[in-house]
Amino acid sequence: MTKTILTIDDSRTMREMLNHALVEAGYRVIQAVDGIEGLEVLQAQGADVVITDINMPRLDGFGVIEGVRADPNHRATPILVLTTESDAAKKERARSAGATGWIVKPFNPVKLVDAVRRVAA
Amino acid sequence: MDPFESIKQTFFQECDELLTDAEQGLLDMESGTADSETINAVFRAVHSVKGGAGAFGLEDLIRFAHVFETIMDELRSEKMELTNVVAKTLLRAFDVLADHVAAARDGGQVDEARSSGMLDELKALIGAEGMEDEAADPDEDFGFVPVVLDLDEPGGFVSLDLPEPEAGLPVLEIPAEPEVANGVWIIKFAPGADMYAKANEAGLVLRELARLGPTEVTLHDETLPALDLLSAEQAYFSWTIRLTTEGDEASIREVFEFVEDDCKIEISREGGAPVSLETEPAEEISDDDAKARASAEAPLDLDALLARIGAVPTVEAVAEPVPESTPAPAPAPVVLEAIAEPEPVAVVAAPPPVIEEPAQDVAALIARAQTADVPVAPAPAREKAAPAAASNTPQPAAAATIRVDLDRVDRLINAVGELVIQQAMLSQRVTESGLARSSNVALGLEDLELLTREIQDSVMAIRAQPVKSVFQRMPRLVREVADMVGKRVRLVMDGEGTEVDKTVIERLTDPITHMLRNAIDHGLETPDERTAAGKPTEGVVKLRALHRGGRIVIEVQDDGRGINRPRVRGIAIAKGLITEEAILTDEEVDNLIFLPGFSTADSISDISGRGVGMDVVRRSIQGLGGRITISSEPGKGSKFTMSLPLTLAVLDGMVVTAAEQTLVAPLSAIVESLTPRMEDVHYVGGKDAVIRIRDSFVPLIDVGVALGFRDTPIHAASGVAVLVESEAGGKAALLVEAIQGQRQVVIKSLEANYQQIDGVAAATILGDGRVALILDVDALVTAQHRRKPAARSEKRLAG
Amino acid sequence: MTSDQTLAALSLPPVLDLQAADPLRAELLSLRGRPLQVDASQVNRLGGLCLQVLMSAKKLWVEDGQSFTLEDPSEVFSEQLSAFGASHFHFEPEGEVS
Repeated sequence: MTKTILTIDDSRTMREMLNHALVEAGYRVIQAVDGIEGLEVLQAQGADVVITDINMPRLDGFGVIEGVRADPNHRATPILVLTTESDAAKKERARSAGATGWIVKPFNPVKLVDAVRRVAA
Repeated sequence: MDPFESIKQTFFQECDELLTDAEQGLLDMESGTADSETINAVFRAVHSVKGGAGAFGLEDLIRFAHVFETIMDELRSEKMELTNVVAKTLLRAFDVLADHVAAARDGGQVDEARSSGMLDELKALIGAEGMEDEAADPDEDFGFVPVVLDLDEPGGFVSLDLPEPEAGLPVLEIPAEPEVANGVWIIKFAPGADMYAKANEAGLVLRELARLGPTEVTLHDETLPALDLLSAEQAYFSWTIRLTTEGDEASIREVFEFVEDDCKIEISREGGAPVSLETEPAEEISDDDAKARASAEAPLDLDALLARIGAVPTVEAVAEPVPESTPAPAPAPVVLEAIAEPEPVAVVAAPPPVIEEPAQDVAALIARAQTADVPVAPAPAREKAAPAAASNTPQPAAAATIRVDLDRVDRLINAVGELVIQQAMLSQRVTESGLARSSNVALGLEDLELLTREIQDSVMAIRAQPVKSVFQRMPRLVREVADMVGKRVRLVMDGEGTEVDKTVIERLTDPITHMLRNAIDHGLETPDERTAAGKPTEGVVKLRALHRGGRIVIEVQDDGRGINRPRVRGIAIAKGLITEEAILTDEEVDNLIFLPGFSTADSISDISGRGVGMDVVRRSIQGLGGRITISSEPGKGSKFTMSLPLTLAVLDGMVVTAAEQTLVAPLSAIVESLTPRMEDVHYVGGKDAVIRIRDSFVPLIDVGVALGFRDTPIHAASGVAVLVESEAGGKAALLVEAIQGQRQVVIKSLEANYQQIDGVAAATILGDGRVALILDVDALVTAQHRRKPAARSEKRLAG
Repeated sequence: MTSDQTLAALSLPPVLDLQAADPLRAELLSLRGRPLQVDASQVNRLGGLCLQVLMSAKKLWVEDGQSFTLEDPSEVFSEQLSAFGASHFHFEPEGEVS
């Protein structure tokens, strides 16, 4: 059963990198360009894991996490946030909002796929 | 193209867009029309530039973008006031940023003096103290250890340089792959409710531990209440895991990376002291002794560690040959109990290393000791050491991606296609042999069929790719076409991540290019015309991809003038495509543009023309088993909708018999099937049959005749009519002798084996081994319409 | 506990994750007081919380003196039980929890 990963990032470069690494690892990838679209796509299609950026237009990554955790149909979906090494405060905020795990940018494809596997049931 | 290069190209394309947006935002900031979202947007743009630069290791760009971003962050959090002076400075800094991007892309050099002067100016804006750290550590935002993103070797790993053996120890050759002795670890894992609430799962943690080596898992359910007192999302269970692994503590810790703040974890060597007690959540620490012991141990950390490393050899040397059968110091459960207790685990002075094993074991021990060095690093460094430790840890599935030659995938797909056919043939033989459906053979075949289908799906998924690679070429095309025809266009793209088989992807570019050209050249008005029509001067063209009904749909929509129906109709009549009296719905008129011979050099410009009419576009899409339609609203715009199968390798079809031939009609084209009643069939001009289906008449095409299998049509009432709809919305009823059923067939290209036949799209091999032709419904319907526009008039006569 | 002694049957849903735990608890409680047969044949994911609910239900049934049996566990269900160190849960004769 191919697992579906929803990647939410306003940077096309980042989406493409994520896509490349995840598709190579055998995942199906769906993408959204901001938090609003991310939540819409999740509601419409569901996903086994959500990977989200933090800084995004319309709705940021914290909003995505809160939105998913408040959605009775998808609140069990694991969410990985893309963070940077330095931004401990954001990582903490994401965690307390309900993030399942995190991926430190610039990510290394092996670590990325590792993180996804660790949270994907 | 090398994916790394391809993504890098995307990055620079995106930089262009980001810089354009950022520039506009900065101009608004300068003119005083910016709101907080503008500032946010500029921040995000610069942040994204920096993020991408980080991934590609573009150091100069990172450094400059970082300072720029810091200022934008100050502005958006209102720690700094946006003055005109600030805005002007930022605009000048922006030019330098753009130069950095260009230099990174083209390999040029940025004027160093200008760049560093600008950096100083920027830093001056927010006061030096804020930037002090940055100067010292410009890469801090990335932890830019040389983790160069190497997309070519996603499974590649950082080689771990083993330190030189310490002086004083016997110097031994360390084998290339050191036979590291297995260590036995006792891990106590007690999740808290928060762990589950964040969608972390105890089961997955256990699974990850099992990846490190064999585990024995003991569940502690003592605190579990009966159901009436249970709170479903509270955590009651805890586990003790006995893990035998070659990995070190860091690799075990890594498993708990995401959950360590939401659970209690204790990791210890079997029979040894707990290695670590560090990660208990503050509010849950009931174990003051443990805490005290931990702090008491802290100053002695290094010694304790050395002692432990020293302890390793004895345990492992004994345990090494066959860990399972080796008598452990104590039966596991007992040890578990002991460790579960708050304090009784004595910090036993480790016995000195007793090296009495053969040489290679000593080497192994040293290797082990050195690996165990990793956690010696102080806490903050632990995370950084982790990647190295992880890649050094044997993890069977760690190489989760491999790169495979496309040829091999294609061979696999072909072989699976054969497998599907073979499986169908086998099923058919079994059915023919009269075996009961419940026989073991038949049941086994059913399983085989499911499995075959699953293999087929999985194999097809290997080749699935997002349409992005096609979409990303389009913005530039749109800019060029817009410039050429003097129109202002904004391209909005959506669904770039929609996946489709590689065979389809490769053939999307031309039709999309053509539809976009057409939309800009014909669909959109000039800026003046738009102004006159009360529309914004900038036209919008939307390009969208989505999955619908097992197909991929590509839409190209413009907000232009819509199709000029009287004109289209006039052209169609002038070219003899329809008669003057033909009564067509708006939709039918719109779709006339797809008729062969509709577009000519004088009805289309150079831009969308290029010598190709919409009929050619449609033919090429049909060749892929696709359909294209247009819908239009005068004054509001037009929308092209193209739908294609997700793969060109399989097709859902209806198997029919005509002139004793077995044929397959694509299910996507079929509307319904019915048994003709003689009173509904009429003959126009004595021979061309039409059939009434409810309120309309459609041509009745005898498939056997149309394909030249026989000369005389069969009696309509003796056959079955399959109502089909062509891409253009043209309908016809295909008359066949019988319908055999529906099935998925593997498409074999005819062109590879035979020559192209009119009315036949491809071939397939059926379960009984016979070759069946796959009908080209559109060619059949179009041929009929072309030959007999009178069929349309007939509708009026008959109606 | 006296009440209807007819056998109740419950078929577990395929995914027993975080969001399935509370509904599962409610459903099980609604069947209290009757011998229960739980069909685990459809399960393809078993999470820790739902395992707690199931084992806790068995505990309650045992307290009530009713039988609680797991029928026809799917392969995944059995595998995950064993990964949780809880294989005994369905092999065990009814009437005992651990």
